[in-house]
Amino acid sequence: MRRTFLILTLILAAAASGPAGPLPALSSRPGATGRLTLSGAWALYPMALKWAEEFQKLHPGVRIDVQAGGAGKGIADVLAGAVDIGMVSREVNPAETDKGAVAVPVAKDAVVPTLSRRNPFLADILRRGLRKVDFAAIWIAGSAPSWEKLLGREGRTSVRVYTRSDACGAAETWAAFLGGRQEDLGGVGVYGDPGLAEAVKRDPLGIGFNNVNFAYDAKTKRPVEGLEICPIDLDGNGRLDPGESVYDTRDDLIKAIAGNVYPSPPARELYFVLKGKPQSPLLLEFMTWVLGAGQKHVPEMGYLALGPERIARGLAAIGASDIKK
Amino acid sequence: MKRLLKDALARRGMSLLSCLPGLLVLLVVLGLFLKSKAILGVQPLSRLLFGTSWHPLRGEFGLFPFISGTVWVTVTALVLAVPVSILTAIYLSEFAPRFVREAARPVVDLLAGLPSVVFGVWGVILVVPFVGGVLAPLFGASSSGYSVLAGGIVLAIMIFPTIIHISLEVFAAIPLSLREASLALGATRWETARHVVLRKGSQGILAASVLGFSRAFGETMAVLMVAGNVPAVPRSLFDPGYPLPALIANNYGEMMSIPRYDSALMLAAFVLLAVVLFFNVLARRILARAERRSR
Repeated sequence: MRRTFLILTLILAAAASGPAGPLPALSSRPGATGRLTLSGAWALYPMALKWAEEFQKLHPGVRIDVQAGGAGKGIADVLAGAVDIGMVSREVNPAETDKGAVAVPVAKDAVVPTLSRRNPFLADILRRGLRKVDFAAIWIAGSAPSWEKLLGREGRTSVRVYTRSDACGAAETWAAFLGGRQEDLGGVGVYGDPGLAEAVKRDPLGIGFNNVNFAYDAKTKRPVEGLEICPIDLDGNGRLDPGESVYDTRDDLIKAIAGNVYPSPPARELYFVLKGKPQSPLLLEFMTWVLGAGQKHVPEMGYLALGPERIARGLAAIGASDIKK
Repeated sequence: MKRLLKDALARRGMSLLSCLPGLLVLLVVLGLFLKSKAILGVQPLSRLLFGTSWHPLRGEFGLFPFISGTVWVTVTALVLAVPVSILTAIYLSEFAPRFVREAARPVVDLLAGLPSVVFGVWGVILVVPFVGGVLAPLFGASSSGYSVLAGGIVLAIMIFPTIIHISLEVFAAIPLSLREASLALGATRWETARHVVLRKGSQGILAASVLGFSRAFGETMAVLMVAGNVPAVPRSLFDPGYPLPALIANNYGEMMSIPRYDSALMLAAFVLLAVVLFFNVLARRILARAERRSR
């Protein structure tokens, strides 16, 4: 009898406490012990894991949990107080800012247009590049022109357009480059970055776009086998000048993005979103570390570190005065 | 005294627990309805259900492309799956030697248990190139392969087991004496299957198909991976389609923090749930009636 009551009590207690209770109170000593939780975009997940790992090495008393589930989940979680930081790979919507979301840029990333290496017009495309208006005609105008028309010839080989089916920062950024939103992008929707790369790779007449980390092989730093980066004719003069040819390796591209040769968008910032200014010392400590010493881990993970001006603005946004070394 | 108390407690406890699932369905319906109220307050239901323009950030929430995408993919899957499944079930129940039947059952049930993402990956690797590279040129169409047809094929394979399994049960419930009577009159086995087994089991088959339909209507991952996900009403089997479950899965995680977007997705879920519930209840009633008759 007593045991039955015990079990019932336990069940009730478990039900009452629930899975995502409020965070335990943080210690008042800055950065010494405590727990931080992050949730949000897949695009930032590997980076956040690395930061968490390094930060925990510096502060063994700290526990950081990172989970991925989409940018919107990150924002919803942080606004509901379920996590400390939301990871976001798209611009924050005004409806979200109104509710108190504060976005702090923490790293940069880029989206590049991709082709199949088996594209019959490949040599021509690599020599000329495509202009921004061409990309806009392909994705936004609704009826994609033929490959020949894009290259200034006669012919009717249709372009097969691919986009991401899942709402994501990559598509949003690519659309922003072309003057629209993800919902304006035409083309067959394929799920996830790897799926899109695979679909484009297999379709000789296809065109798509990928995050740098999925377009380039992490080991060889060259474009993924079977995939070719579609060069952008930035000045629109109908040929790819040496200065515009920045796609051979991931390092070349990253240099071009850092030097603002590759435009932004399609380069983009990735954000940590907080609910207002950080209240706990530990959160502040972590954020300042990410924007300071943490930035040195950014290139090794295949992202881009922020410029000093963006870092200063980020620090101002969280109310920190100087960079923690 | 103690034993009686235990008995009473057990009975109460269990009855309480068995109320839970039913209550849960009610809670889901209620939750979805409350969440979608925000969008229903902004636009009339007819515009939401029959609008064809999906640009949520511009305030256009037409769900019709997704509803029609769901119907296209589901109907394609049923047209492919129902005849094959029923013929398979007839073969297994009426013609196949015992050991084939015994061996086929676990295989069919295994298929039913495979995670849908496995079917999706398989669809991307095999079905999409097949549709894009072989079937579409055969019919003079140009398609990337990510299409209603690819979704239908993958889905058909996923609902085979459901329909086969239930049809087998239905056929097994038909008294042997009926078959014996037919055979004694000189009918062949095929004639017996056609005129006795199929006729007697017709309602059960209908119910099996409807249950298959319910599964197909709500199936998400596998279809999402191969159907093309273009929010426009498909015009042919080779056009891409965008079913409701895929809409929710693609966008919910990213957009749940934007109230109207969130609410529109909840309405999509509500529509989906309503249709699936309706057909499920219908199937159960038909099945129950079929069982009563066969007794």
